[in-house]
Amino acid sequence: MSIEAINEQLLRAIGVGVALLDAKDLSFRFQNDTFVEWFNPQEDQDTLPKLLPEFDAEALRKELEASKRFTAEVSFRKKRRSMIFAADFTLTSEQEGNFIVLVCQNISRIREMESMIDSYSMMVERNTREIKREKEQVEKLLLNMMPRSVYEEFKTFGVVTPKLYDPVSVLMLDFVGFTEMAASADPSVTVSELNDIYSAFDRIGEQFGCERIKTIGDAYITVAGLPDPTPDHCRAVANTAVRFLRYLERRNQGHPNQWRCRIGIASGPVVGSVVGIQKYVYDIFGPAVNLASRLQECSEAMEITTNAVVKENLNEQFMIEGRGMRKIRGFEDQEIFRIMDSRKGVL
Amino acid sequence: MATQTLFEKYGGFSAVSRVVLDFYDRLLDSDEIGPFFDNTDMSKLVDHQTKFIASLLGGPSSYTDEQLKQLHTHLDIKDPHMDEMKSVLAGTLTDHGFSGEDTEVVMNELEARRAMIVG
Repeated sequence: MSIEAINEQLLRAIGVGVALLDAKDLSFRFQNDTFVEWFNPQEDQDTLPKLLPEFDAEALRKELEASKRFTAEVSFRKKRRSMIFAADFTLTSEQEGNFIVLVCQNISRIREMESMIDSYSMMVERNTREIKREKEQVEKLLLNMMPRSVYEEFKTFGVVTPKLYDPVSVLMLDFVGFTEMAASADPSVTVSELNDIYSAFDRIGEQFGCERIKTIGDAYITVAGLPDPTPDHCRAVANTAVRFLRYLERRNQGHPNQWRCRIGIASGPVVGSVVGIQKYVYDIFGPAVNLASRLQECSEAMEITTNAVVKENLNEQFMIEGRGMRKIRGFEDQEIFRIMDSRKGVL
Repeated sequence: MATQTLFEKYGGFSAVSRVVLDFYDRLLDSDEIGPFFDNTDMSKLVDHQTKFIASLLGGPSSYTDEQLKQLHTHLDIKDPHMDEMKSVLAGTLTDHGFSGEDTEVVMNELEARRAMIVG
């Protein structure tokens, strides 16, 4: 076999489509096997414009005149399949005249892959956005259950080490006659009102740097001095307690349901930690919690009760009244005090 | 713990992408269902097949019943077309190494959506 014959064989069998065009009328002079297989030219499609009616022949001529080369992406519909080719045209001058060598690469699969990657990345991006949104919701929920610094620890290490906070002030609030109220009135109304009140308490507490720890039914517990130490934790909690009462008084004036509470305030050390493995609860433990609860029991409706330790730390901003010695279950007998709103009657 | 989806089991996107393109080829080559795509833009069809396969295999996409209905409502798809499509897909999955059991699962998923597609 001669070299020429081998060359022609190669040219015919090569995996790119090759055609030779007459530069004058763009008629085909040669098409290799791959070209024929791809474009399947019919008898009457003997020129490039006839084979590819959408092809911009004018642009081809102009560009070839200017630079002897032209590249374009050509799409061709074979049966129902869109085929896309990268077409490369080169002008050559031979003795017989000017010819254009057309070399086509089938880039359909590349374009299909690109479309698929676009489609897939859009799905993934949408999913990522959804996951992010869900994560934010979970984070929000967890931040409602524990202080941010505790949450950060939990997120990083998967566990929370119990931590001693000393000193802090604990405010314990309980509603008078809640059980009867929940039983007599429409329970859903009662709970929805309780929700409003707790939300208001949260906002008030936040203003004074208190961290709500939990609510158990009609009991509400908030703390100052945790997770970051606060020098005036007693004052923060007393201020919060006074505003809780003010809020309830004002609310009661315009509502048929009367909400009346008792408050106890105590200072001391507490340990804060996440409790539980399946159901996480951030909680605090310690004598200050128990004492606040006992002192709250000493209050009458709409009263705030505390002991000497807290009283010493409160300034003249508060009106404080001694209530004498009391037996406190689980603690030494001690003098208790009532904290009153110094702005009483001003509102 | 969440169970592994078929999408994950058979190698995630890198493997499923081959299934998608092969399925796309076979659909176009089929003279029974190919004509439905005579005038469909390539990228639109690839997008549709990608989402379709991904949602059937539990990948990161989901076509709601409403969307499926809307996509097919203007086409005159009859039960034999749907059967042919199922057999094309089953063949594709088998050739890509899906076990008979898993192919069956996918076929059941598809069958569950027949009412949305055939109209």
